[in-house]
Order: sequence, then structure tokens, then C-alpha cells
Amino acid sequence: MNLKGKGSRLIVASGLLAATALIWLSGNQAAALAQKARSAIAEAFQVRTRAGNLDKKPTRYIKDPNPAWSSIAVNAENNMVVMTDENLFRIVEYGRLDNTPPAARLTEPKRIIGGDQTRTEMLCGAYIDPRTLDVYVTNNDTQDWMPVFSRNAKGNVAPDRLLATPHRTWGITADETRQELYVTVQFPSAVIVYRKTAANNEAPLRTLEGDATELADPHGIALDVKNDLLITTNHGHRRFYGGAAVSTITETWEEWIGKSTADLNSLPRRYLPGLGKFEMPSINIYARNASGNTPPLRVIKGPKTQLNWPSHVAVHEERGEIFVANDAEDSILVFRTSDSGDVAPTRVIKGAKTRVKNPTGLSLDVKNGELWVANMGNFAATVYPITANGDVAPLRMIRGGPADQVGLMIGNPGAVGYDSKRQQILVPN
Amino acid sequence: MLSRTMHDIRYNPVDDEVLVPNPFSNAILIFRGGASGQEAPIRIIQGPNTELNSPDRLDIDVVHREIFVPGRGNVLVFPLDGDGDVRPKRVIRGPDTQVDGTSIAVDPLHNLFATTGRDRAILIFDRMANGNVKPLHVIRGPNTQIDRINQMAIYPEGKLLVVAMPGVQGSMEPPRVFVGMWSLDDDGDIAPKWTITGKQTGLKKPFAVALNPEHKEIYVTDMRLNGVMTFFVPEVFKPVPPAK
Repeated sequence: MNLKGKGSRLIVASGLLAATALIWLSGNQAAALAQKARSAIAEAFQVRTRAGNLDKKPTRYIKDPNPAWSSIAVNAENNMVVMTDENLFRIVEYGRLDNTPPAARLTEPKRIIGGDQTRTEMLCGAYIDPRTLDVYVTNNDTQDWMPVFSRNAKGNVAPDRLLATPHRTWGITADETRQELYVTVQFPSAVIVYRKTAANNEAPLRTLEGDATELADPHGIALDVKNDLLITTNHGHRRFYGGAAVSTITETWEEWIGKSTADLNSLPRRYLPGLGKFEMPSINIYARNASGNTPPLRVIKGPKTQLNWPSHVAVHEERGEIFVANDAEDSILVFRTSDSGDVAPTRVIKGAKTRVKNPTGLSLDVKNGELWVANMGNFAATVYPITANGDVAPLRMIRGGPADQVGLMIGNPGAVGYDSKRQQILVPN
Repeated sequence: MLSRTMHDIRYNPVDDEVLVPNPFSNAILIFRGGASGQEAPIRIIQGPNTELNSPDRLDIDVVHREIFVPGRGNVLVFPLDGDGDVRPKRVIRGPDTQVDGTSIAVDPLHNLFATTGRDRAILIFDRMANGNVKPLHVIRGPNTQIDRINQMAIYPEGKLLVVAMPGVQGSMEPPRVFVGMWSLDDDGDIAPKWTITGKQTGLKKPFAVALNPEHKEIYVTDMRLNGVMTFFVPEVFKPVPPAK
């Protein structure tokens, strides 16, 4: 599918649609139609073999029927709690005061967006536009798109808008004052800033990347507009350019990213051969408008920080605090925005009472003084007072599955192995 | 040290170890078999001498004690017990190789390895290939029905290559998805010998394969389903007579 041209495109629909047609359609209609055609072809595909096709049911099937919440966005003024589900590929909306009774299996969402027309798959980030209530979501590494859905979108619908984003885009936030959209790209490590209303194959306004940035597999991103800061969380996986990022793009951004969805639209960059490093996970703090190969103002990193796969991050500007979903330690960490170096968090929300389990998403409801956590490990959204500390029970909990089960957390299983000694199937994600 | 992106994993039954690539830190991690929780790797292959370039997949040859790592246009071969900034023992690289290097599988019994080549090809090389060498066989063309290749595995006794074919990149439910199997003697524009696909299988986007010849099972992960399927396929696990 060619993305050239904004708002409309020329597509060729073929296969089982009976006739081949050249049609000018809006971007979203074109995407939906192309997907429909692909689905029809997939259904009718008859493989050719020499010995035979083994069309048989699997003897065993490991599959989690419950959601895996990967991110959360809250708009208290409009009673919106939006979560992305990385397992069932859905965007769901709940009410702010929803609270699953202990005996209930789950709470049904008010709204579900999902299906093959939505261009949503490995969903990992969510943002609610406070004015339009549009929902922006990032797909990590199977769909190189950022779909935007209107307040009324529901079911298996095409997005109202699509922005082509580099492969492995993860975190998302926006500067409403300047109408700018910020995303992180895991690898090659980068922060990319677009116009907030950017669509199709639009080029970024600026990019933050290069050795001096110390970006290392960045995930979460947040803005402290009051103090003009940009904050990212980093898992610590690094490659090196020998200075500024070395781009190998030989055409314009628009031509490169819109070339073909058959390509892996990974930011084309050339690293120094062989070099790579494992660093401690970190919170990197930059000037809000940092771009190019600019070093961070401060870095929070070291054993005292307890950071371990730090994921989504949020800033409470009035309190001067940074909240981090600390995935691999089953904890929420709170730092001061002025912190630097190897410092202990000022507060840690962790323990059996908290129900925090592999927290990936996190959002603040400043109006009501609440912290929301999306837990991938137990398909629960848990709510705490903004001042919570230690092993505290949540104020409310929205469960997407039964209380007595844990999440399998199989997400984009790109490999499988077999341990013949233990007779175990190994599934990295 | 694991990243959220891991596209291969191999078990070494001789040394009871597990190997995983980390493309973001440019490293191969080797863990103790049965490792659990936040256990550190026992060895790490990483550094400028390794020539690693975002390693995404690998396979091991426990007979000749080697690790095969496909890269951007090359295949690097390391000692199985390699640790730190080690140089590859052999590098298959150059225009004659046709290697694009997104996936790999090794057959220690017949001294062969299979990797991916330009224009949606499967290339079969001699295990000891080194430098700018031509593949022994090239499986490529419309009859192969290959759109994209992910993880590969080899059943050496059957001289059989098993490949996960998740369809075209970017499509949510792409056409032409299957687990395809070719003989390592196959050459040219040739349809797979066996396939696993169709309504009964439920497969939507098969991403990876692992083999269990003892129980005659193939394990398949499916990205679109976020699931792991076990297929009992005794018809596939038939040894071929050894070459004279």
C-alpha cells in the first residue's frame, strides 16, 4: 500500500474481490479495503505441496483468554479509562469508578475497539486528547502505524487517522500547548516528535538520537511542561554510532516510510560494527525541545533506584514527582523530578496487598489525586491515592479476567524452543 | 539482560544450556538450562571482534560445538563455548553467497545449514562454508509460496527443514501463511514437501517452530493468536536412509 499523498491514495484491490479496480479512497477506507482483500485471500489460500498438507487440529494449544493490559490513559473529566490489550489486540474503555466485585469474573468494558480493520495489534501505548477525546495508540513491532480513534469509534472499525511510525515505536505523549506528539522508538533508540495532527507518511518535526543522548531501548515518555522537561525510561540496551546517529536514508522521510508495508520500516541507521552494551536501566531527563545528539540534563540510574524494565512513566508537575511502572520488579517507583544519579525512590508501591503484577502502564488522575496502574501480569487496573507508599491495597480494581488466575503474558511470541531434558517448551516474547 | 524482543531460543541438551540473542545490545546470551527468574547468563558473546550486528536468530550444532548466527548479509560461526569478545571462526559473506541472513538452522548429521537468501529464498550451504561461497542449493520461486521466513528448524534424521511462514509483513491476517517443509536436497522453484496450514489448524500468523522428534511433535507459535500450538505429525518424522 502506497502512502504517498495525504488524505487520499491510489490502491489496487485484487484477488478474490472478483475484479481488479483502481479506486481513489480516503486513507482509512483504503486501509480497510486492502485488509478485507487480504483476509479474503487468506481464507481461500490453497497451499501446493508434494507430499501433503497437514490440516489438522493442534493436539495442545496454550493461549491466555484474558487481556494483557499494556498501557492506560485516564481522562477523569469525561469518565474515561482507556487501556490497551496486548493479548487480545483491543482498546477498551471503562468508567473511572468501575470496581470489579471480588466474586465477579470480570468487569465488561463500556467500549471495545478491535479487529482486523483497526490496524491495532501489539498495542503498547495510549493517549487521550483532552479536547477531542480522540484515542491515540502505538503498535510496537508488528504494525508500523499509530492509529487514532474518535470518541465514538467502537468495534472493528478503521481508524479515523493513521500515522506511519517506525518499527518498534512504544511510548506516547503529547504537548497540548504546542500541539506536538512525542513517541519513543525502542531500537534504534530515539525520541521522535511529530505535529500532533500528523497523518499518513508525514515526517517528524525533530528527532532525539545519538550516542550523547544515552537513550538505551527507551520505553515510557512523559513531559513536565511546567519545568520544560522531557522524561524517558530506558531498559539499558545500547548500540553506538561513534557520535551523532548515522542515518542511511537516501530519500525523503515521506518516501522512505511510505514505501511499502511489506518492509520492516525500522529506522535505517548504521551503528559501529560489533559494539553493544548492557547498561543499568535509567530515567533520562532532557530539555523538552531537545533534538539531535543532545545529552540528558540528568540521568537517574544505579542499583539504589531499583529500576528494572521501567515502562510507562508519568509526571505530577505540582508535586514534582516522576511515577514509573517498574515491570520486572512488580513495583511502582516514585522519584523527584530533580533527582539525579544513583538515588533511591522516595516511595515504592509494592507487595501482595497492592496487587501490582508486571505493571506496564501507568497514568495520573491529578483532578482526583489518584494513580492508575495497568498490570499485565494479572489483567487488573489498580487505583491508589497519589500519595500511596509501601504494601497498600488499591482503592479500586478493574479486572479483565478472574481473580484466581494469572496472566500468561505471551506477547508476540517470535520464537519457540524445546528443552528435551525437562520436556518443556520455551517461549520468549 | 533479556530484551522485550527475542526472536530465537535454542536448547543445548549436551551442556544443558539455553541460548538467546539480544539484538538491541548486540549480544548472544547463554543461560543455564532450567534458569528461572532474574538469573544472570553464564556467558555473553559481545564486543567489536564478534562482528555481531543486531543478532536476531541463531542455531547451534552440538556435535561440532558451534553457534551459527545470521546477520545483515552474513552468517557468523562461533564456538559453542565462546564467551566475551570472541572472533567468529568462519564468516559466510559476499555477493556469491546470496545471504540476507534473517533465519538459520543447522544439520550436523549431513554437514549442512540452511539460511535465508535474497528474494525470499532458502539457501543450503555446506556446514564448513567460509567466505564468499555459493550455496549448494537455492530454493526460490513462485512454487515455493514463500512470502516471509521466520524461525527455522531441522530434523536431521529426515534431512528435513521446517520453516515458519507468517506471510507478508504489515498485514494483520495475511494470505499464504503456513509451516513449510523442504528436504535439504531440494533445489530450485519447488513446492514444499509438507505443509501445516488450513482451517483445522487455526493458524493465522505462524512465527516460530521447534521440533520434538521423540514425540513426533512440532511446536508452533502464532503471533496473531499469541498462542503456542502442538501438532502431532508422525508422517513428517520419517528418517531418510543415510548416504552411502
